[in-house]
Amino acid sequence: MHSGFKTHLKRGAAIAVLATSFALWSPTLSAKPQPEEDKEALARLELFADVFSRVREQYVEEVTDKELIEAALNGALASLDPHSAYSPPAEFKEQREAVKREYGGLGIEVTTEAGLVKVNHAIEDGPAYAAGIRGGDYITAVAGVKTRGKSLDDAVEGMRGLAGDPITVTVLSEGQAPRDIVVVRQVVRGRAVRHRVENGLGYVFIETFNNTKLTDDLTKALKSIERDLGGAIPGLIIDMRSNRGGLLDQSVSVSGLFMDGGEVLSARGRTAADTERYHAEDGELYPNMPIVVLVNSGSASAAEIVAGALQDRGRAVVIGRRTFGKGSVQSVIPLIKHGGALRMTTQRYYTPSGQSIQGRGIMPDMLVAIAPDTGEIRKRFREDSLPNSLLNPDDTDYKEDHDAIIYPPEDWSTSKDFQLEKAIEVLKTSKHRTLLTEQSSRYKFP
Amino acid sequence: MKYVLPTLGAVAAVALFAFSSSNQTAIAVERPSYDETFQQLELFADVLARVRSDYVVDVNDGELIEDAINGMLQSLDPHSSYVNPDEFRDLQVSTSGEYGGLGMEVTTEEGFVKIITPIDDTPAKRAGVKAGDYITEIEGESIMGVSLSDAVKRMRGKPGEPITITIAREDEEQMEITMVREVIKRQVVKYEVKDGMGYIRISQFNEKADEGLAAAVTSLKKELGGKIPGIVLDLRGNPGGLLDQSVKVSSAFLDGGEVVSTRGRTASDTERYNGERGELAKGIPLVILIDGASASASEIVAGAVQDRGRGLLVGMTSFGKGSVQSVIPLRGGRDGALRLTTQRYYTPSGRSIQGTGIDPDIYVSAIPDDGKEHKIRREADLPNTIPNEDASEDGAGAEDESKTEEVVADVMIDYPPEGFEIEDDYQLQKAIEILKNGTYPNLLANAG
Repeated sequence: MHSGFKTHLKRGAAIAVLATSFALWSPTLSAKPQPEEDKEALARLELFADVFSRVREQYVEEVTDKELIEAALNGALASLDPHSAYSPPAEFKEQREAVKREYGGLGIEVTTEAGLVKVNHAIEDGPAYAAGIRGGDYITAVAGVKTRGKSLDDAVEGMRGLAGDPITVTVLSEGQAPRDIVVVRQVVRGRAVRHRVENGLGYVFIETFNNTKLTDDLTKALKSIERDLGGAIPGLIIDMRSNRGGLLDQSVSVSGLFMDGGEVLSARGRTAADTERYHAEDGELYPNMPIVVLVNSGSASAAEIVAGALQDRGRAVVIGRRTFGKGSVQSVIPLIKHGGALRMTTQRYYTPSGQSIQGRGIMPDMLVAIAPDTGEIRKRFREDSLPNSLLNPDDTDYKEDHDAIIYPPEDWSTSKDFQLEKAIEVLKTSKHRTLLTEQSSRYKFP
Repeated sequence: MKYVLPTLGAVAAVALFAFSSSNQTAIAVERPSYDETFQQLELFADVLARVRSDYVVDVNDGELIEDAINGMLQSLDPHSSYVNPDEFRDLQVSTSGEYGGLGMEVTTEEGFVKIITPIDDTPAKRAGVKAGDYITEIEGESIMGVSLSDAVKRMRGKPGEPITITIAREDEEQMEITMVREVIKRQVVKYEVKDGMGYIRISQFNEKADEGLAAAVTSLKKELGGKIPGIVLDLRGNPGGLLDQSVKVSSAFLDGGEVVSTRGRTASDTERYNGERGELAKGIPLVILIDGASASASEIVAGAVQDRGRGLLVGMTSFGKGSVQSVIPLRGGRDGALRLTTQRYYTPSGRSIQGTGIDPDIYVSAIPDDGKEHKIRREADLPNTIPNEDASEDGAGAEDESKTEEVVADVMIDYPPEGFEIEDDYQLQKAIEILKNGTYPNLLANAG
């Protein structure tokens, strides 16, 4: 009898707690009454409280309130879109610590050669370089474990660890006996940018925007290309293929190198008041240098911001395949009293001409494929392939025109980069100008 | 504002009253648990409000809360879910009305509709649809993420109308199958004389199962000249059905006594189901065929017969669906209903079926041993399944588990020879052989 009494009390009380805290927290509910909707919301809250208490009473096993509510929160957040989620306190704590607890490495780029791990490049301000390891050296053992026969991933895994922890690597240099070198791991940023002179043109590859020094490194890379060419860069290829994005401010400053002020992107929330605009710095590094941006379906987020800004502002020709379409911003909202956090989509990215990137991506000015046409239309994995993704209401120009895609010839060797060759061709001919003119007719500013 | 306040006020007043009286009457020890509950509910309301105000687009509160309810129930186990009012209405109509269908038992798994089993003698069975197939498209339209009831609704229609569905099967290309809908007559019991023995197959435990069985036994008796020398009861691929039917079917082979008990969280929830006195198939040797797709009600019958020493089980370990779901209407169904796991099934000797299933007395495989380990999806493989109580309690339980593993590894499985045609049904051949070659009494005496 007593237990029945207890549960009935709880059901009534549960509804009250839900209703009052919901009203307290919800500005729309208290400030702008929307009677029909609120009535519905309250009815649903009652339903929730009803289900909650029945599960507690009747489920075959005992379940804790915490488990039930966390599962409910997961269900609600996950139903919004694939990037929104709820983090329980323990997970949120771990996430915060993971950001602080940076992993360290040796500051080398490695490859395998003849079953051995070979140092391709030792970063000059990295700990390995300081310990005397140079490009061309072989690493035969890590902490006494031989690297021969191991996959590169496994070998590299052994070298990573917490910053400050020392590790012994056995190094073999040309003409020397193998020697053990102790290297203290440091947080080493990989080279943010790779650059080279390509057919008399400048070529920069940006792998990620998750690097606070990216814009500096890119500036240095451009200077270095200038030096190598012994004069002005006649044309630049910015390769952002398979770049998954990263820091928003880096996408703004990278775009800013090639624009004299003006808008790079806006992030817009539900109401106009939520809109934030991001502008390029005044002053442009190479005002008259023709630029081609290379993208593919793996170019996402920050990479799409840069491609979209340079395209909209008529600063570059975009070549490749339609980009991924991750144009939404997630805010991490800590739940102070409770200790957990919400990760929730709060804004969408818009290019300067007002196009939303979300679910749509950036459409290249020239569609070029990487592999020969096999006759089948392969479905690429993009944001809009994710179940329950936030769709873009604007679906004009959304699908790639398959007839317009330029494919490499059937006997094209996979070791050659067709998209890059097309980019070079465009920069070296009048095509660049033609494409820019066509582009300006497509992107009208409101 | 005018509208909201009275509503809130009323609810709050009722609750406050309840809350204050709880302070007076409830024992002090329970207070922390109240606070914990309220904190959790507050958290929930807090998060909803934030989503409502900050999410990038307008959110329908009703849908959001329904998703929360779904999230909560799906976290419990694969069989608990929220049935929204539309689905609840459909559920009631579909169990009574006549409609054209394809004849498949379906469920959802990882966002796709999965076929539990095609029903005998239906368009689906004739078209070669197999248990474990996934339906990915209906009429060329992807149904990923579509609710089960919507998918089922799309497949139903007027009898005689064709429909095309796309099937995905492991290790095979997707294929499109066109079928013509028909009224699914659920003849669930089939029988015939096989090698002088009575063969009875129950494909599902619907309300006609017991009548069908009785009719089958009577007819077989007549066909065999008054005496059935042995019965093979085939429950392979039988996904279950109604609990009372499993009790009635078991009664045909047992003279009263317990068939199954269902036990909930507390001892007072235990319900025992007894067979009727008087045994329809008295004295007739019985072999029951089971396999990995024999579930729920099938497992109750097999478990009862095995525990009571009434027959031999031949085949492979059953599915292990030993939990009972109650459909609990909310506000008389106006708010839909709750499908909630409330109890577990136990065999007469007190074994829980959930997760582990029923092991046959004699392991016989349907397909030749090709050296590969054939993984059959069982209840225990479903994500987030309810564990079997017997094995999950504590350290001692863990020890038990390893023991069970060992036993399974040592099991001798009788495989058909290489090149054996599946159509020739090796398991059935073996069952008949046992009944005919005189080993049955000995095997039965040594079983269990």
